[in-house]
Amino acid sequence: MALIVEAVDLKKTYMLGKIPVEALRGVNLKIESGDFLAILGPSGSGKSTMLNLIGALDKPTAGTLLIDGVDVSTLNDNQLSDLRRRVGFVFQFFNLIPRLTARDNVELSLSIADIGKAERKKRAEELLETVGLKDRIKHKPAELSGGQQQRVAIARALANNPRFLLLDEPTGNIDSKTAREIMRLVKRLNTEKGVTIIMVTHDQQLAKEAKRTVQMFDGVITSDVVN
Amino acid sequence: MRTRDVLGYSFSAIKLRKLRAGLTTLGVVIGIAAIVALLSITQGLQDTITMQLETGLATDTLIVSPGAGAFGGGQDGGGFGGGALGGADSGFRLLINDTQTINGLSTDILTSTALIQRSGYINSTENERVTTIVGVDFSEYKNIYSTTFISESGEIPDTPDNNMIIIGKRVNERQNGTVLFTAGEDVQILWTNATARPPQNESYTAHVAAVLQEVGGFAFGGPSDNNIYIPITTAQEFFNTSECETIIVKLANSDQATIDAVSKLITNEFAGEVSTISSTAVLNLLGSVFSIIELFLVGIAAISLLVAGIGIMNIMIVSLIERTREIGILKALGMKSRTVLGIFLGESVIIGVIGAVIGIALGWVLANIVATVLSSGAISIGTGGGAGPGGDLLSITPVLTPMVFLGAFGFGVGVSVIFGLYPAWRASKLKPVEALRYE
Repeated sequence: MALIVEAVDLKKTYMLGKIPVEALRGVNLKIESGDFLAILGPSGSGKSTMLNLIGALDKPTAGTLLIDGVDVSTLNDNQLSDLRRRVGFVFQFFNLIPRLTARDNVELSLSIADIGKAERKKRAEELLETVGLKDRIKHKPAELSGGQQQRVAIARALANNPRFLLLDEPTGNIDSKTAREIMRLVKRLNTEKGVTIIMVTHDQQLAKEAKRTVQMFDGVITSDVVN
Repeated sequence: MRTRDVLGYSFSAIKLRKLRAGLTTLGVVIGIAAIVALLSITQGLQDTITMQLETGLATDTLIVSPGAGAFGGGQDGGGFGGGALGGADSGFRLLINDTQTINGLSTDILTSTALIQRSGYINSTENERVTTIVGVDFSEYKNIYSTTFISESGEIPDTPDNNMIIIGKRVNERQNGTVLFTAGEDVQILWTNATARPPQNESYTAHVAAVLQEVGGFAFGGPSDNNIYIPITTAQEFFNTSECETIIVKLANSDQATIDAVSKLITNEFAGEVSTISSTAVLNLLGSVFSIIELFLVGIAAISLLVAGIGIMNIMIVSLIERTREIGILKALGMKSRTVLGIFLGESVIIGVIGAVIGIALGWVLANIVATVLSSGAISIGTGGGAGPGGDLLSITPVLTPMVFLGAFGFGVGVSVIFGLYPAWRASKLKPVEALRYE
């Protein structure tokens, strides 16, 4: 199994006004391709910061973070953008573009990757079918339920065949029944399509669905167990 | 991201805020429309006046009149100088037989002829008209102004009898078309000699030899619709003078170099007591006057466009703040900073292009409306001048030159780009993590 994420003594300090906050205080973590990892921890434990760093949305303050063998801290703005295109991000609040239809939201991700119109359309429809939204492609986010919006977000995240899917509290904003459905979809993507999943949550139950659980507290990893 | 997709995305963002984008666009529309309307009307006006001037002027002539200072004389331009007014002080008088001196100055001078001008009356038994009486050598004048000193009825005699006169079209006809005098008719010519003590009324009976074809345009040394012409010998006797107001010089060609050289020769010959005017110089002067007017008008219009530009910037900054989270999403999806810049700049450019296109069309429509109103006589501008009957109506055809078209378009789009640049740059510099956290 190929190593796709490797963090060595990873540190991140950011300024909250004038007060420096040490969000990560030396994290060591290896994630292999095909894994399904849950990062568990209370708020303020540094799990979201960890996710932002793995998703190349932010740069570490110290330590090394290798994604696909590339040291993130050496990348410039453009290279970071390129890297983000190979990461599928799913947010707690879905973060769909409200004025675009489900299909256009998925297509947006593809058009950022320079894919032509015809192929975009075809691929977006396939992806929406995969997440079970074949009959909702022309609906705008406001016309979709929370669970449906999250499915669109997952389809969008999968659009460019990412190296891994990053899920930030993916069920935090939807009811428990829908949450179970989303988790079934995520697990299916992992087992059937071999998509690597990294999920951040504070929900113990949800973490059990993963193959491996990493517990964080106060900016460090306190446990790392295979379920 | 492909340019088409970037613009498509920009457009979808504009569509979402139709009213706001529409109002911003309106600002650009007004600015561009003002520029286009003002420029095309000014251009049309300039063309009309130039054309009228050219009708009355022969480009291969120089007009010599007493008085230092030039009316746009030589190649170095000069303004409306002292001219005829200043000349009186020095006691210098331009004489009719000065033409002989002038003729001998250069081989570039083909001929010259003197003009004596007085205000007076022409009377028949039924009609009386105020007019300008011009004493001139008929055959020379015909030679110089061969395209305008042409009879409509009767014939212009080369060796006229002393009492023969030629009448300008508008002296002969009222604006409603009533004909006052006919060729072959006898009329009375009246003139008041104001310099005599006491002032003396002089008159003689003249015979209408011909009525001129309509000249149109401005009389500027050349034949005018508002003048009557009498033989120079008669004028000398009738006005009791050997002086003339003007000497028209016909040149071998209309090169600027010839005009300048001959002007200089003549001015030097009369020790700077005369000024020479070439029609080319008049046209050039007119052109430069119009350039200044144009610049002034466009400057005013440009201010409105500047305001429109600030409107664009304002709206784009508001849009940027509202869409901070969206920018975060786009960046999280892997959009490059310069693409984000492109999207925001694209929005301003779309507003600019739409505004410019509508503005040009609207400006053109406005210019035509204004021109129609002007031409229909709601406002009449006299071009006749002198003591003639009522002036011409100025008919303006607005002219939209490709320069104005492209300039207005470029200016509109340019302003949008310049004012859109800062908001777009700010959008592109947003950090994804912070932008995503923005509520």
